[in-house]
Amino acid sequence: MAGGRFGLDLARPSRQHWLGYILLAPAVLLIAAIIVYPLFVSVDLSFQNVGIARLDQPRRPFTTANYERLFTSPDFWNACWVTFKLILVVTLACCLLGLGTALLVNNRFRGRSVARLFVAMPWAVPEVIAVVIFAWIFDSSFGLMNWVFLSLGLIDRTINWFSDPAAAFAVVATTMIWKGYPFVSIMCLAGLQSIPEDYYAAARVDGANAWQRLVHITLPNLRPVLGVTTILVMLWIFRDFSIIYVLTGGGPLKATQTLSIMTYEQAFSFFRMGYASAIGVVTLIFCIIAAKLMMRRAPDVL
Amino acid sequence: MRSLWKSIILGSVAAIALSAASLPALAQGKTLKFVSWQKDERGVGDWWASVIKEFETKNPGVKVEWTKVERGAYADTMTTLFAGGKPPEIVHLASFEFQKFADQGWLEDLGPYIKASGLNLEGWAGQNACQWKGKPVCVMMLYFGNIFAYNEEMLKKEGIAPPTNWAEYLAAARKLTKDTNGDGIPDQFGTGHETKGGGGQYLSELMNYTLDAGGRWTDANGKVTINTPQMIEGLARWKEVVKNALTPRDLSAGETRQMFADGRIAMKLDGPWLYPIILRGKAKDQIRIAAPPFNPPLGGSSNILGMASEIPADTKKLVWDFIAIATSDKFQTDYATLAASTPPSPRAKTDGAKAATPHFDLLVQTAQAASKAGVDRIPKGLEIQYNEFAKMIMEESQRMIIQDLDPKAVAATMQAKAEAIQKQ
Repeated sequence: MAGGRFGLDLARPSRQHWLGYILLAPAVLLIAAIIVYPLFVSVDLSFQNVGIARLDQPRRPFTTANYERLFTSPDFWNACWVTFKLILVVTLACCLLGLGTALLVNNRFRGRSVARLFVAMPWAVPEVIAVVIFAWIFDSSFGLMNWVFLSLGLIDRTINWFSDPAAAFAVVATTMIWKGYPFVSIMCLAGLQSIPEDYYAAARVDGANAWQRLVHITLPNLRPVLGVTTILVMLWIFRDFSIIYVLTGGGPLKATQTLSIMTYEQAFSFFRMGYASAIGVVTLIFCIIAAKLMMRRAPDVL
Repeated sequence: MRSLWKSIILGSVAAIALSAASLPALAQGKTLKFVSWQKDERGVGDWWASVIKEFETKNPGVKVEWTKVERGAYADTMTTLFAGGKPPEIVHLASFEFQKFADQGWLEDLGPYIKASGLNLEGWAGQNACQWKGKPVCVMMLYFGNIFAYNEEMLKKEGIAPPTNWAEYLAAARKLTKDTNGDGIPDQFGTGHETKGGGGQYLSELMNYTLDAGGRWTDANGKVTINTPQMIEGLARWKEVVKNALTPRDLSAGETRQMFADGRIAMKLDGPWLYPIILRGKAKDQIRIAAPPFNPPLGGSSNILGMASEIPADTKKLVWDFIAIATSDKFQTDYATLAASTPPSPRAKTDGAKAATPHFDLLVQTAQAASKAGVDRIPKGLEIQYNEFAKMIMEESQRMIIQDLDPKAVAATMQAKAEAIQKQ
């Protein structure tokens, strides 16, 4: 029985690692089927002039025309700029808001559990529902936001939130921040709870004030967690589609057209799947570069 | 061990033999897939259900699997189904999107089926649009003309008669747009158009004004004709309406229709599908329907029925049976009554529809007026590039409004961009 029916003795010390490979094999094969294979197909399509792609179609001649067109297209560079702006604004705001709320609910006070629940709630709301709520809040004719701003005297006429490029970008960024900050908050809260209380006690004895304790104890200890969280938030913004698509569809005047929206539009509105694949491949490269840069800044963990 | 193998082989042979014997039974149990965005639409959805019921009665053992896909996700879903080699056998598409599918060779040439069945498509509204590379790849299911609906009470309160031309319409829209509760936010609008969403709907809304001004996107030969005085006038009118907020901004077509039905918008130009929405609205008793103040009215082909080309021959026969039922005189007559829309068939009897829909004659008149003027939402010569063209027109129109550009300059830009799109 030791050798088994196939003569494979997994109990032998020299073959003990085989069991690990065998157990991993289904997962590896699944990942290869649903991630690696489509990735290769995508890269392959990006070098062909394909309208609507079909796997049973004969391969079209190799061409770099999609990439040549992409790098000379003002729309592509605009999408890169919009994506970059969105990443910068949303990541920064999510981190500040997430860290702030985590510090707040890490304190002991009455109703802390309820406060923690409220902080985490936006994360639990399905993305499309959140977007519909925000679309109504910012509705140009009947939305809450125009009424609040007018009532407070901040504006003297209604803002067309989705017809003005700057306003539309602000609405998209606000929605993404609202949806994204709880994740940072939860991660930071977990990180905060792992910092030994002794550090703070010692700092207090040394006369450190709250700001000094934050800068010299909390932030350095949270750095690994914040590093990973920032990368994950950044990648989420890179790939997020539904918030922008439902709110603005990338408009007006391409003010909210990110790389993911551009990819979708080229593939499914204009049926240029070769060109869309080229945008997807370039987006992937950008993601890898951005993640690598961030990983360098968080060497303790990654 | 040998006896085990023997049993397996014998069992397999028996299973194959049984399967072969039951093949006709399996063919009887066939299912045809039918994907549509109209499944839950009051009226037209009921009509599709009646067609399916009739088909299943006539073909015992054959079922139609009817699936709803939202209009917003329709093109993606259908593209994925066709590209994945699993298209719905019965193909339902919008008239502005079927060209891409036909161009891929995914839609069957219906010519031989039409000929064999003797289906007479003479005078069938919008059927010319179904010709692709000289072959009929579909049957048009609706060709409509816009109607003009207005809130009589709101107009009377301001002492305004229903407008009959652009000048009267603009004056009425200006007078009817107001802040009724004094909170500084206009909450009543003279008219209503979708200004958010897809290029196709935006283009249709804008065309109400360009057509009345005498403009066309392309001529009969497919040559782009945007940089003309008529189109410039049409664009100026659109700018006047949107920039001055005579329509609520950033609403979808559905939201705008609902606002009209609820009495927040005074005048609305729309297709026959507006009426069922009016009937469910708060202001249904105040709303009247009349001929549009614009000439020619916006009209055009709406949706088509076709057959996937990559399906077995016996399935094709069944799909044609389905199309034959939908296009039969009886069901075209039912279409007028149930969907409260103009049936494309010239042989449909509309007496029942006239009794159920008070303005049915008007629907027929506007559809005929649009058809006579050769109006369609899909410009000739830009069928394949329609989505890109519509998106470009939407963006340039938005730019005109946001950056307060001269319509003359905008028309020139549109002309150049449309020509570039056409050349691709």
